[in-house]
Amino acid sequence: MSPALRYDGATVGYERAVVRDATLEVAPGEVVGLIGPNGAGKTTLVRAVTGEARLLAGSVSVAGRAADSYRRTELARLVGVLPQAVPATFAFTARQFVEMGRHARLSRFGGLGAADRAVVERCMALTDTGGLAHEPVDTLSGGDVQRLTLAQALAQEPSVLLLDEPTSHLDLNHRLQVLDVVREMADEGMAVLAVFHDLDMAARYSDRLAVVSDGAVGVAATPEEILTATMLSDVFGVRAVIGADPVTGAVQVMPVVRMRERRAPRGIRVALVSGSGSGAAVMRRLAIAGFEVEAGALARGDTDAAVAESLDVAFVPLVPYGAMTSSDTAAVDAAVGRADVVVVCATPFGPANIGNLSAVARSSAPVVLVGEPRPEDDFTQGDAARLWAALKAGGAATCTDPRGIDRCVEEAVRR
Amino acid sequence: MTDTRRGRTIAVLAGLIAALGVACIVATSFGAVQVAPGEVVKAISRALRGLTLTADQAVVVDLRMPRVVVAALVGACLAGAGVLYQALFRNALADPYILGVSSGAGLGASLALVFTGMGVISLVIVPAAAFAGATITIVVVAAIATRRGVMDTLSLLLAGVAVSYSLSAVTSFVLVVRREQMSRIVFWMMGGLQTSSWGQAAMVGGMLAVGLCVPALFSRELNIVLLGDSRAGELGVDVERFKRVILVAASLMVSAAVSVSGLIGFVGLMTPHMARLVLGPDHRLLLPASVLSGAIVMVLADLVARVALAPVEIPVGIITALAGGPVFVWLLVRARRGRL
Repeated sequence: MSPALRYDGATVGYERAVVRDATLEVAPGEVVGLIGPNGAGKTTLVRAVTGEARLLAGSVSVAGRAADSYRRTELARLVGVLPQAVPATFAFTARQFVEMGRHARLSRFGGLGAADRAVVERCMALTDTGGLAHEPVDTLSGGDVQRLTLAQALAQEPSVLLLDEPTSHLDLNHRLQVLDVVREMADEGMAVLAVFHDLDMAARYSDRLAVVSDGAVGVAATPEEILTATMLSDVFGVRAVIGADPVTGAVQVMPVVRMRERRAPRGIRVALVSGSGSGAAVMRRLAIAGFEVEAGALARGDTDAAVAESLDVAFVPLVPYGAMTSSDTAAVDAAVGRADVVVVCATPFGPANIGNLSAVARSSAPVVLVGEPRPEDDFTQGDAARLWAALKAGGAATCTDPRGIDRCVEEAVRR
Repeated sequence: MTDTRRGRTIAVLAGLIAALGVACIVATSFGAVQVAPGEVVKAISRALRGLTLTADQAVVVDLRMPRVVVAALVGACLAGAGVLYQALFRNALADPYILGVSSGAGLGASLALVFTGMGVISLVIVPAAAFAGATITIVVVAAIATRRGVMDTLSLLLAGVAVSYSLSAVTSFVLVVRREQMSRIVFWMMGGLQTSSWGQAAMVGGMLAVGLCVPALFSRELNIVLLGDSRAGELGVDVERFKRVILVAASLMVSAAVSVSGLIGFVGLMTPHMARLVLGPDHRLLLPASVLSGAIVMVLADLVARVALAPVEIPVGIITALAGGPVFVWLLVRARRGRL
């Protein structure tokens, strides 16, 4: 299908260009999400459609015609906008407010007809605002006003809907509600271009995403293709674990550390024994504090393995549910041998990863134990518990709060 | 508009029209010679049918009626302009007097009066000069208050007051230079309706009709621009064109009022504000209701001006300021919510 909205080499901005040479298409029935750091020009890009930002080169076209060649009313019949927030400091009733969306479809001399009123009713029902009809807008909450603003935009019956961080002021329930309505409109054939703040929402509701950064727009592709660890660290400066929402299957972003947050390396090597998420918090803190962390053997797909990857922490990878081979054991021994301090987290141990603990027992480096192992996490007939007790008896320091791990490690090094 | 809303609109406007009619008849019956309200009605109906009038009836039709009608029209013009400015600038404190538009019109009118005298020709030249003065003033004030496309409320009011003072100073200077005209013009400028005639009524009425019909066609836009210029644009309003139309219409009404009655404050500020508090912000009702209320307020203010210290007349601008100031303060204290 031909695009409902198309940027073709568009350079947009105000006095100066903010985004250069943008090329992007939004087809009917499609939600395209724009993501990127603050100030990258996402909003400017969207505003160029309605003429609130200037088109400095290239073209922006709506329904096959240059957006700036339409008269205001013509454009308002094709394009609806849901801004971040509309100032609501007037005493219009909610219904009057939504009726304003019909303006572009009314003649100068006429008022609302029965058909117009039916559209207004439908849009208010769709956004669950029908019950507010007689309330003055200035007495309503920000969430209500935002849903009414969506109803107002839908009352324009546009074929293109532009959203500019539409849910940033909404609570979780209303956020989902507004975006569900938007998704529904797209499924009925509307073309939607949305600026998203929240990457998870972007992934959940968009068919394609495009990254806006450094004044340029990347190629739009599926959320799976766009939301990668590399993109997040390059564009947002954040190391993150990329997973899947267990319920919707949408890509999910779990930020681990801001790159700026990491302190300079301090030349202390720490070997970390953990697994199943027991060491994620410890690993993050140690990495931020500037320790050179190396993890023991971790199964691929394990939470700790994902966090280690996001932090560039080396580890010995295991096949899920597979046992450690002799070369794995050697690698873990080497890592522990190199370390100035070994940190052992209370981890569920089984035949697959007990080798980590044995390696620590063989080494002579100072040990810090984090947490207290629970008997039900021991799948080694007590081997793990015996090793843990031996480490403790051998003078290992204990750290009860993972948030204090950097201090525990420093003390262990000094001793 | 739903049916209940339309019913309310009609009821409110019908009530205001009736009140205006009563106010006009009462105002006409008062004066040096008391004429009973019934006699006023009889005189009007005889005059309309072209019958000969008694001496009392002639006083009513030729002297008092034009004055009452001009007062009503002036009040309507000021309140109409006030509504338009308040919507356009999204500012409940905007009014022709505060924005300096009245002073601009006053300077234009003064110059015209100084150079043309008071003859029939002044019915055209004075309002035309006032219109030019009003339009130039509002454009200058709006330009001063706008920085990078954004018009700041406080700047607007300050610019209006500053420009207003400067223009008043220029007007005073003109008067001092042309001393022989001074008392006549000062008298006019203080806001009096003593010289009202049917000719003036026709002139003000014509300008009011034009100045009001155009915005009436834009009443939906008047509502929508309250959401802000950018939202209004997104909803299909050509904001720039709308602003030009509204500014010209408002200037037309202000210059009509100033041409015949000098500078009268508070009617353009107070009346729309009160109407908005009572009736809500929908301009489909607010605009006509404010205009009618402005007319009523002005007829009553002029009545007080004529009879309070009779036979001495108080300039009506003093009455509106005396009454309007406290009422406005009361409204401000009461309406803390900053609604528009």
